[in-house]
Amino acid sequence: MKFLKIFVALLVTTISIAKAQFTKAELQVSGLTCSMCSNATEKSLRKLDFIGDIKTDLNRNLFIITFKKDAIVNLDQISQKVQSAGFSVNSLKATFNFSNVKVSNNYHFNYNGTLYDFLNVGDKTLDGPVAVTVLDKNFVPASTYKKYAAMADVPCYKTGIMNGSRVYHVTI
Amino acid sequence: MKHLLVLLLIWISAATASAQELYVNTEPASNMATNSLGIRVENQGYFKPDFRNRSTLELMYGASKNLMVHGSLYESNFNTNNSHFEGGSVYAKYRFLSVDSVQRHFRGAFFAKVSAINNPIINQEISLEGDNSGVQGGVVFTQLLHKLALSGSASYIRGFNNSRDQIPDGYARNAAAWSLSAGYLLFPKNYTNYKQTNLNLYFELLGKANPGYGQGYVDAAPAVQLIFNSQLRLDFSYRTPLWNDMTRNSKNMYLVRIEYNIFNIF
Repeated sequence: MKFLKIFVALLVTTISIAKAQFTKAELQVSGLTCSMCSNATEKSLRKLDFIGDIKTDLNRNLFIITFKKDAIVNLDQISQKVQSAGFSVNSLKATFNFSNVKVSNNYHFNYNGTLYDFLNVGDKTLDGPVAVTVLDKNFVPASTYKKYAAMADVPCYKTGIMNGSRVYHVTI
Repeated sequence: MKHLLVLLLIWISAATASAQELYVNTEPASNMATNSLGIRVENQGYFKPDFRNRSTLELMYGASKNLMVHGSLYESNFNTNNSHFEGGSVYAKYRFLSVDSVQRHFRGAFFAKVSAINNPIINQEISLEGDNSGVQGGVVFTQLLHKLALSGSASYIRGFNNSRDQIPDGYARNAAAWSLSAGYLLFPKNYTNYKQTNLNLYFELLGKANPGYGQGYVDAAPAVQLIFNSQLRLDFSYRTPLWNDMTRNSKNMYLVRIEYNIFNIF
């Protein structure tokens, strides 16, 4: 019964935006100082087939990533590549193209079978490119994650899974 | 000695704003990137009483985000009249702690080393870098504060008989080793691209003791490092004892090393 309720709730609140996609992302990596470390991280990221180009701001450890058109973006793979280079994601702001979507707190949207859940947002309509900040584990510093885990009333924040599919928690 | 300590203290206090942890004489707690390969060619030696030198070929590989392994081969005329192939060693480092924030991190790693060497044993120092067969296990912590990196390690070494020569009677079979390292990124002041040459300064203190035998040393090892194209690294170091009460080769030694890194080989 509970499952049914969640399912109905999902049907009501989730809108599939299959045609829209992520266009770019601003990734800040922590733990980096030497250019050799940044170089290793960038080469690691470039292995991902949905990444088109990367520009770096070495002073701020920022990677400005442009995604390939029509390629399916997987944010978890970005975080994994940063970690395999030996570092951590400090922040990831990914730009998504919305088309007149009304959002509110805990509103979900679906992108290629993956759910994105809005946390800490007021009611507003999103149209055009909007940068969403990912709040999940391995996308924010451990302290920030703990803070949100204590605050968030949705259990899927800790598991990252909702009804068997990956759910990211984002804010704007 | 006093001057060096003062210099070190000034260095640490002046540079808390900003660092480098690609130490020349020790390893940091951080690992290489996964699937990256580092190739090192190194020459170390001394000129008194006569010129002796050792060449090392070392390959380093990032096996996972937490594990890296090194393999080294040694050749020298340190312990014999002619230069010869001495044997090899394998080193592994496992990072168990990472506290990262932007341009700052604190890391901890366990490391272990095994070496098989065919030299005669003439030194009191147990050194797995070409002189002795043995095993080593230890822990290292590294703190990065923007351009300054500080690191400390402690380890235990157990010497075995070398492949042809036994440890002489009355020689220590166990040693304790420690190190303290500071590294500072001097140039570039501002990063704009990967082609900028980096200049890093290092100051390291290296110590070893044979417990129960009253044998030990503390060495100071200043070093300069250049990094080209964010890929090629050149190290120069000079190592001299601050205090020594141990028969060994490694007094007043120079070190020259070139390291080339290939990122993401698979």
